[in-house]
Amino acid sequence: MDLDSRGVPGGFVASSEFAEAAKAQAVSLGFDPFRVFVEHPIQDRSDQEIIRLADRYFLDVLALISSSND
Amino acid sequence: MNDLLDPTSELRPPKRVPLKRLSDLQKKTVGLLDISKPKGDIFLDRIAERLHERGVLVKRFSKPTFTRLAPLELKNEIAGSCDAVIEALAD
Amino acid sequence: MNLLVFLKQSCETCKLVAPVLKNFLEEESAEILCQDSSSFFHGLAVRQDIGLRRSWESKIETVPTIIRFDKDGKESARIEGWDSEEWADFLQIEIPETMLRYKPGCGSDTLVPGTYEKLAAKYGGEEIKSRRILVGEQEDEIEACYSRGWSDGLPVVPPTRERVMRMLSGTSRCSHDIVGVVPPNLVECSVEKIAINAVLAGCLPQYMPVVIASVEAALQDEFCMHGLLATTYFSGPLVIVNGPIAREIGMNSGGNVLGQGNRANSTIGRALQLVIRNVGGGKPQEVDRSAFGTPGKIGFCFAEDEAGSCWQSLALERGIEPGCSSVTLFAADGVQAIVDQKSRDPESLSRTFAAGLKSVGHPKLALASDAILVVSPEHERVFRLAGWTKDDLKKRLKDLLTISGDELVEGAGGISEGLPVRFKSKKIPKFREGGLLIVRAGGKAGMFSAIIAGWGASGKVGSAPVTRKIT
Repeated sequence: MDLDSRGVPGGFVASSEFAEAAKAQAVSLGFDPFRVFVEHPIQDRSDQEIIRLADRYFLDVLALISSSND
Repeated sequence: MNDLLDPTSELRPPKRVPLKRLSDLQKKTVGLLDISKPKGDIFLDRIAERLHERGVLVKRFSKPTFTRLAPLELKNEIAGSCDAVIEALAD
Repeated sequence: MNLLVFLKQSCETCKLVAPVLKNFLEEESAEILCQDSSSFFHGLAVRQDIGLRRSWESKIETVPTIIRFDKDGKESARIEGWDSEEWADFLQIEIPETMLRYKPGCGSDTLVPGTYEKLAAKYGGEEIKSRRILVGEQEDEIEACYSRGWSDGLPVVPPTRERVMRMLSGTSRCSHDIVGVVPPNLVECSVEKIAINAVLAGCLPQYMPVVIASVEAALQDEFCMHGLLATTYFSGPLVIVNGPIAREIGMNSGGNVLGQGNRANSTIGRALQLVIRNVGGGKPQEVDRSAFGTPGKIGFCFAEDEAGSCWQSLALERGIEPGCSSVTLFAADGVQAIVDQKSRDPESLSRTFAAGLKSVGHPKLALASDAILVVSPEHERVFRLAGWTKDDLKKRLKDLLTISGDELVEGAGGISEGLPVRFKSKKIPKFREGGLLIVRAGGKAGMFSAIIAGWGASGKVGSAPVTRKIT
């Protein structure tokens, strides 16, 4: 929110378990940021699994910052 | 009938719409902010690789600890050097 | 002379001075107000101070009181009670020598317990800034608090204006003072908001200095309240009280110290949690993502047993001067029992403690959680009889809890959890420097002690204990 107010658009990536928390904060702060929720859990995944996760969600992550379809 | 006093912050913030997304990423610098939870760096390494493949400039940052908000100096640095920012990976 | 007099029918001193006033009024005039009657007062014509408004506005504490005003209507002097020389000088009259020389006045009706708060609520004093919430005639007040989301699951005390005024009387702080910024919504919290949540929690006004100090401590950056609230871990803020105030407000440091039964213990921690919930917006399943929570997240507060102890108290260890009261905030889980009913020497008992402490968080994790070791009087006796100070115990525990890395690394013992393999050849302390606190508390019978483990992120990475003097 702070960076957005400084002219830097962006968003965050969190695991699906944080959807409720994000919604609550959006209401109380009056600011609903762009966000991507990836499958939970994260901590016990191997490095390869995390890389595959990043690939699977890459276009969604790109949409956090870009409106272009390229 | 009795009045009660409101124990809450009575917060009524005005709604703010996030900035428009960038229309294209050519010659733009994207900041990748690691909140410093385990595996976040692996995730952002891969995102950085994929962004590089598209010709996007990437700058990496990380919070000193996932337990606190990003310090002011870090936000200043990001705001001063990036056109957009992606923060990851909360779980 | 421009005079205002306050009397009470029920006050013997007022009856004594009535003839003096009557004689005075033959030559001069004065406005005479009676707090408890409108009828003629022993020959004097009086008006009743309806609703005690004028008494409140004039800050009357004693009757009789005479106030003199200058030509601009400003108070220039006042006298209270009966002192014949003082009255003679004030009113410029002669007092018969037969009269009693001195008689103290009576307490003003404005100061009757319960009345003061009603008057404060009615006539002001400090302006209450919080929004008033109208509760419908058919609506139960306790259910109204539930339906508005103010409760932690247990019934709360409805925060009427009177109750809040009464709570504010427990502190000399201005109700508009801002104590800090409360996460997660990062909003300013006033003393008034603390008072409202202290009412909800069931506190007494005399707890307010402790509650305010607890909120101040919790909002210090090193305590990391925001992270503590938002984590998936178990912990919540624990308040440990030291110093004379613990006894003054009737806190428990003995049997059931970590449990139920004592109002101060049960409500002070609850008030802090309600501030975080209601002012800060930190609610379970919203920003509060704790997987399990802990019963202490309703409220967790106790007093250290300093009276019978030969050990330095937690407060003194942490730099609070003797004779002062303080709170120490700690990011706490629940309570883990240590049973040792056989050790009669300090070495054996230290090893028992170390065995329990090793399992904090996970036996193979180190430098993650802090912990508090609550040593019961029966166990403390073992150390006392052997001449061990608290420092001696701490040093021995540090030795016993410095563990070989090859036991701790990932995969060791067939357990995937653990430290990175690079620590294999090192000796690792279980706790960071300053991460193990020791206090004495508990009932006089029971050869048990307790571990209260801390959040898995401690020190600069997460939360560090914060101690704050109570003022």
